[in-house]
Amino acid sequence: MHRVQWRGLRLCFIALLSTSANAQQDSTGVADSLLIQTLQQQLSQVAPPPAAPVAPRSAPSTNPNMSVIGDFRMSYQSPAHRHIDAEFHEAEIAVQSVVDPYARADFFFSVARDPLTGKFGLDLEEGYLTSLDLPAALQLKAGKFRSMFGKINNIHPHALPFIDVPNVYVHYLGDDGLNDEGLSLSWLIPNPLDFYQELTIEATRGPDDNPNFVRSEVDRYLYLGHLKNFWDLTDNATLELGLSAASGQNDSAFASVLGGIDLTYKWKPLQFNTYQSLVLQAEAIWSSKRLTETETVKSWGMYALATYQIGKRWFLTGRFDYSNLPDNASFVERAYSGVLGWYATEFQKIELEYKGTTSNVLPTANQVFLRSVFVIGAHGAHAY
Amino acid sequence: MNGFFNTAIKLVIVLLVSMSLLQAKDKLRVVTTLTDLKSITESIGGDKVDVFAIATGFQNPHFVDPKPSYILKLSKADMFVTIGLDLETGWVPPLLNSARNANVLKGAPGYVDASENVSLQQVPTSVNRGEGDIHIYGNPHYWLDPVIGKIIAKNICDGLIRLDRENESFYQGNLKKFSDGIDTKIKEWTGKMQPFKGAKIIAYHNEWVYFEQRFGLKIVDFLEPKPGIPPSPSQLAKVINEMKRDNMKVIISSPYFTAESADLVARNVGGKVVTLATSVGADASIKTYFDLFDYNVGKMVDALK
Repeated sequence: MHRVQWRGLRLCFIALLSTSANAQQDSTGVADSLLIQTLQQQLSQVAPPPAAPVAPRSAPSTNPNMSVIGDFRMSYQSPAHRHIDAEFHEAEIAVQSVVDPYARADFFFSVARDPLTGKFGLDLEEGYLTSLDLPAALQLKAGKFRSMFGKINNIHPHALPFIDVPNVYVHYLGDDGLNDEGLSLSWLIPNPLDFYQELTIEATRGPDDNPNFVRSEVDRYLYLGHLKNFWDLTDNATLELGLSAASGQNDSAFASVLGGIDLTYKWKPLQFNTYQSLVLQAEAIWSSKRLTETETVKSWGMYALATYQIGKRWFLTGRFDYSNLPDNASFVERAYSGVLGWYATEFQKIELEYKGTTSNVLPTANQVFLRSVFVIGAHGAHAY
Repeated sequence: MNGFFNTAIKLVIVLLVSMSLLQAKDKLRVVTTLTDLKSITESIGGDKVDVFAIATGFQNPHFVDPKPSYILKLSKADMFVTIGLDLETGWVPPLLNSARNANVLKGAPGYVDASENVSLQQVPTSVNRGEGDIHIYGNPHYWLDPVIGKIIAKNICDGLIRLDRENESFYQGNLKKFSDGIDTKIKEWTGKMQPFKGAKIIAYHNEWVYFEQRFGLKIVDFLEPKPGIPPSPSQLAKVINEMKRDNMKVIISSPYFTAESADLVARNVGGKVVTLATSVGADASIKTYFDLFDYNVGKMVDALK
C-alpha cells in the first residue's frame, strides 16, 4: 500500500510542477521551439527611439537602500533591586538591494550591548540572498535569516505591536527568535481553489544560542517546515492559518521537535484603512524534548492577542501568554499585557506596555516598558 | 484502502490537468496598482487583456496592504503597470519581491512604469523628512491630469506591444482612439471650468497639482500642515484665516480622508467641502478614466458656481 501511495505522491508532484510550468509557458510546451520563438521575437523587435527625459529624476545610483532603526527603551520592574532602568536596546542597520536580475540581497546589522561584557558590539542579525527568478513559483533564500516558524519569528522586534516578545517565544525559540544559517526554499502551491498557499522548507546548521536547539558536532542539522494559508474573507477582512514544525538537536544531544499553529484575522476597512483596524491573533507551540534515552519532556505554550486601532495614530493591544518550559512541563507561567502605541508617522512610534506575570514557581512580577522606535533612511515596507 | 487512494489521486490529477487547461490563456494577464491604470489598459488592450487592479478607487494609494493574495495575482501576471516614482513604495516592493515572476520585475518587458516621459511637478531640489512625506522624484499624482493620461496610455500600449507584437496595430488603433477621445473631451472639460479660471481653493492633501494646473485652479493651502501629517488645530486656524481673507469657499478632499477637519473649516467660513474622486471607482458611477473627469469637473463646477 505504501508503494502505491508513494507512486501517487510522485505523480502528483510531477503534475503540480508541470501545471506551474504551463502557467508560465506557452501550452505548446516544447522548450526548443519556445527558445527559437523568443529569439525570433527579440530579433523582430525594433528598439523604440529613446525619448528625452522631460523632468529631472533623482540621480541614478547603484548604492543599496540604507536605513538605521533605533530602539530605545525605559523600564520599571518589581520585584527587583533596581526598579527603573534605561537601555538603548538596539540600533539596526539595514542595507538592501537587488543584486542582479536574478536575486536580491538583504543585510541587517545589529548594534547592541553584549550582556557579558556590557559593551556595544556589531553583529550580523540577518544576511541573505533571495532568488527572484526560479521556475515553478519557487524562491530560494541562502544565508543567515530569521526562520519561518510561526507568525512572528521572522518579524523584526521593532515592527511588532508590543515591546516584549511573548513568553512562549522566549522559552521555546529564544529572546531573539530562531535565527540560523542555511537554506530556505519556498513554493507557492498552485491549488484549484486559487488561494495563497506557501510551503517553506528550511535546512540550517543549528543555532548557537537557543533554548531548544544547539549546533551539533556531528551531521545533525535543524530542519523546519512552514505551511502558510491565506484567504481574503471580504475586501476588508483576511484570515491566515499557519502550520510549523522544526526538528534538531538539543543541549542533551538528543532530538527536540517543535510544532506550531497560528491563526490571524485582520480587519481593515479599505476606504478608511489609515484610521481603523483590528487584528486578532493566536499561536500555540508544542515541544517534545528528549533528555535521556528514556525521558522526554512534552510541554507547550501559547499566546493570544488583539490589536485595535483607535484612531489614525493610536493603537491598543492586549495579550495573554501561557507557557511551560522546554525542560519542565510542570512549570506554568501566565502573563497579561496591555500596550498603547502612538505612531507619529511611518518613521516613528512610541509604545507604553504593562505586563503582569504569574507562575507556579516564581513570585508575581510587574513590568512597565516604554519604547521609542525611529527610522532614518530608506526603510523598506513590512510584509503583510 | 488502495482503491480510495487511487481514486483520490486520479481526482487530484484531473483537477490539476483542468487547472492547467484553464490557465492555457489567450489573454494577457495584466496587474495594475491603481484602477485608473486598469481602465486605460482595458481601453488599449480591449478583449486581448484580462486586468486586475490591486487598489480600489476609494483607497489611499500611498497605503495599501501588501496582502499575499496580490502576490498570487502577480506570480501569474504577464504584465505589471505601476504609477511608479515613489507613490506605491510602501507596498509594491514586498509584493514584487515575493512574486517569483521575473516577467514583471523592473527592467523586464512586462514591467510598465506609467510615469515614463511624464513632466513631473514639484520635483524637490533637496529632500528632508522634516517636511513630511516628501516624494523624492516629484508629485506622483500625475494621472489626475487627463492630458497626461495620453502619455500613460502610450506607455501601456508600448508594454502591450512588447509582449504581443502580433496585435500591434490593434493596440495602436486603440491608443489613437483613446488619445482622440481625450482631445475631444478636454475641450468640453476645460470649457466648463473656464469661468472659474484662477479660483482659489484649499485642498486636504497635496495631490491635486496636476488637476489644478490643467483646469486653471489655484490651491492656496492644505489642511495637512505637511504632506502625510494629519491636520493640526493651528493649521486649521491658519487655513480659516486664509479663506476668510481671500473669500475662498471650497475645500477639496479625497474619499479616504475623514470629514471632521474639512467640515470644521467649512462651517467656520461658510464654505463647502467637495470630495473629488482620486481614482476610477471612487464613486460607483465612475467606471472609466473618462468618467473620472466628468465626475470631478461636474463636482467642481457645482461647487464654484
